[in-house]
Amino acid sequence: MPLFWLLLAAFILAPCACFLLLAVSPRLFSQGSQWFTLTYLHQALTGGTATAIVNSLWVSSAAALVGIAVGFPIAWLVSRTTLPGRRFVSGAMWLVLLLPSWLPALGWERIVQPDGVMYRLGLDWPFVTHLIMGPSGVVLLLGLRCVPFSFLAITAALAGLGQEFEDAARVHGASRAAAMRLIIPILAPAIWSALAIGFAESISDFGVAATLAYNSNFPLATYQLYAAIGNFPPSFPLAAGMGWLLVAAVAIPLALQARALRGRSYAVLSGRTRQAVRRELRGRSRALATAGVALFFVVALGVPGFGAVSASLLADYGGSFSLTLANYHALFAQTNLAAAAGGGLLSPLERSLGYGAITATITVTGGFIAARLLARRRTKATGALDFLLLASVALPGVVFGAGYIFAYNLPIMSRLGINLYQTVTLLIIAYTAASLPTNARVLVGAVSQLQPSLKDAARTHGAGALVAWARGVLPVVSRPIVMAWMFTFCGVFLELPLSQLLYAPGSPPASIAIEDNLSTYHFGVGMAQSVLAVAIALAVVGVVLGGYRLLAPAGWRRIGGTVRG
Amino acid sequence: MAGLAGACALALTACSSSSSSSGPAAAASSPAGSSSATASAAAASKVTLVVYSAQGYDSAMTKAFTQATGIPVKLDDNSTGPLLTQIEASKNNPNWGLLWVDGATAFAGLDTQGLLLKGFEPSVAWNSLGTQSLPADKSYTPTGVTLMAALAYNKNKVKSPPTTWQQLLEPQWKGQVGMNDPSQSGPTFPFIAGMMNYLGGVSAGQTYFTKLKTNGLVIHPTNGPTLQALTSGQINLALVQSSAAIGAALGDKNIGISYLHPVTLLPSAIGIDAKAPAAEQAEAEKFIEFVLSPAGQKVMQSGDPTGDSLYYPVIQGVSPLASLPSLASTTTQTINPYTWGPQEATINTWFDANIVR
Repeated sequence: MPLFWLLLAAFILAPCACFLLLAVSPRLFSQGSQWFTLTYLHQALTGGTATAIVNSLWVSSAAALVGIAVGFPIAWLVSRTTLPGRRFVSGAMWLVLLLPSWLPALGWERIVQPDGVMYRLGLDWPFVTHLIMGPSGVVLLLGLRCVPFSFLAITAALAGLGQEFEDAARVHGASRAAAMRLIIPILAPAIWSALAIGFAESISDFGVAATLAYNSNFPLATYQLYAAIGNFPPSFPLAAGMGWLLVAAVAIPLALQARALRGRSYAVLSGRTRQAVRRELRGRSRALATAGVALFFVVALGVPGFGAVSASLLADYGGSFSLTLANYHALFAQTNLAAAAGGGLLSPLERSLGYGAITATITVTGGFIAARLLARRRTKATGALDFLLLASVALPGVVFGAGYIFAYNLPIMSRLGINLYQTVTLLIIAYTAASLPTNARVLVGAVSQLQPSLKDAARTHGAGALVAWARGVLPVVSRPIVMAWMFTFCGVFLELPLSQLLYAPGSPPASIAIEDNLSTYHFGVGMAQSVLAVAIALAVVGVVLGGYRLLAPAGWRRIGGTVRG
Repeated sequence: MAGLAGACALALTACSSSSSSSGPAAAASSPAGSSSATASAAAASKVTLVVYSAQGYDSAMTKAFTQATGIPVKLDDNSTGPLLTQIEASKNNPNWGLLWVDGATAFAGLDTQGLLLKGFEPSVAWNSLGTQSLPADKSYTPTGVTLMAALAYNKNKVKSPPTTWQQLLEPQWKGQVGMNDPSQSGPTFPFIAGMMNYLGGVSAGQTYFTKLKTNGLVIHPTNGPTLQALTSGQINLALVQSSAAIGAALGDKNIGISYLHPVTLLPSAIGIDAKAPAAEQAEAEKFIEFVLSPAGQKVMQSGDPTGDSLYYPVIQGVSPLASLPSLASTTTQTINPYTWGPQEATINTWFDANIVR
């Protein structure tokens, strides 16, 4: 355990702390002349940056609420009813999660912008343009991104919640609504965790901030922070000042969460948990539920998918509507050229597949340990851990990246012979550190349901600690662990800001190659590459899910399963 | 808990130690002033040359360079923004060898901080574009020139494009002009500074852009989206980097290109890390000489045929690719990067607050 704390401190706390220290002491890192100053914090609290912070705060709160309002019903329908097509819903949720947030934003913009696809199809609806290209559109897009978090947290929690609680309520004469009122508080850890993670993910999101929000003249904090670093010469201290405010902001949902959950136990998953019964949906309710879920996916996937795929099929910056595979041909020509130019044995996509798989495996291990700690009785140490993890979710990737340079490229490190900056090792460490907090949050819902009796039973029967864990605990959490693995994999596969600052020269990951094409004049090729990358990531998700289905013992999969009622 | 506290302390000491160690590191850092002494050091041992570059032809170039010289190269191919962020964040322990990006102002900024090796000039015959772009202290070397901004227009809708900058303010172009946002597009600040320089100062330039905004100026983040707005019909005139405009015109026959007078030269340049080991500096100098050699120029002109290869050469005897319009009848100007560079942050902030919003 001390090793775990040491790793957390070295790889999450140190880079964040170094970056935040910059705000008050730029001289420490040769970024200014002052040893101690409050100028930058003051600057962050005034003018344009203050507006951006206020915008970020309310938009992120609204997005987190949208996420739970949409995610909870869908999770319920999928887990507890005979919703048609429910088998595909979690797969599609993964797709929503896996799309980098700028992709849906660009897809939407493409459709509603003046002279966009909507107008060219003869739909002259300026109100839609105003609605999407503004705060409401930003809330919608960020909210859609929160839905998968809510969905995953709630389905994981519902999976561990057997039928017995509902049955008990119903036996005592409660109506369905009343039974629901009993169930929802039991799911509180998952709900709060979904809200907290939704808020933190939204406030640190850069994809929407830099595209839709920026183009709608609606400044968000992450964009302002990026602008402070992107200006030349960059003002790291001002960016750090804004980092302080973002970290302070996540204290809000965390405090609310702590208050709501204090002193209660949510351990409901035991060896005797019963399989839940699916409710038969018929007639109107069936049609309504199906239409609602379908609408969600059209908005979250259909529109951006249409935007990206169409952009990748139009050769001339989208000037005409003639479709061609020219961009895909150009992409393969480029890949061959890069290979011929000594791009090494691996293409960027292959490299990112490897980075994603390695990072996901390390992260899930660390995330599980962290989730165990978080699910235990709250002490000062776990409180600190909780805050550290959520605060680092709120810090945008670019802050993490810069923090890693400040912390791991100190002259003293070089003199000690530690040269980590711009190596694959540091990149993977940074990926892990950046995904661990979210990962731990996704797992904590499932882990907090574990009753210690599971392991105790195994130990009583003479199993060693490891065997007891493998046979008593692993089976019940195997599904959430697989989910968390895929989540991390997808996040890392197309991660951009960290990769930009830390990748090892000569070995660009996929996002760098894509960004390279998008930002230069090869927009269509970049889009083709993104579409291909998303397809590959989806294939990996398919293989992993299929593998779990085939390889995991039937009993493992039964937990969280349901029977038809 | 004790473990956590201990680790915190460890982390904080690690951070704070930079202050005490940056002094000796800087002092120990190589003969930054002169360059000739370093040449012999390279022959002894070939270290890996770390190239930070945002050029489209950079991977072709590094490959050709390694083939020709046997010097191993590691390429950090990134946008200009992240490259400069890396350099600034790692400046007390840099690990780049040379930087190759567009725009002299960034180099002037690095030079003012003492981060560039001064005094190196390759033995080549510059043409007039080359001599205009060479800095007095020779802290960076131009490798080619693009223009900021070219006027790309929709030939179907615009039969007689404007010929002066003032005409863009006329009612007939209301809502039809687009340009990039300087805080997202590197080459756009030199354009704005160029206009201010041409019009007689910052405030005259601010007046011009304010009028342009009143006439319905449309801002997109970078060259790509601005050109997309042109082809999609949102705007009819796009002020973008010449290489981007010409590249777009190669793919879309409806796009016409013209230059208004004067256009500002935007040199692509290479600067060498002042703190790099002597052997690496010597290799970087070889790299620059290779880039400007006939073989290197061939690579530059073929490495990114619809993008960065569309530049105007700075060496006598090398002609631009056939698709580039002649500069014979175009007035060009250079802006002093040492006076305009330091104003970049304030001017961009002004532009974002008053023109973009």
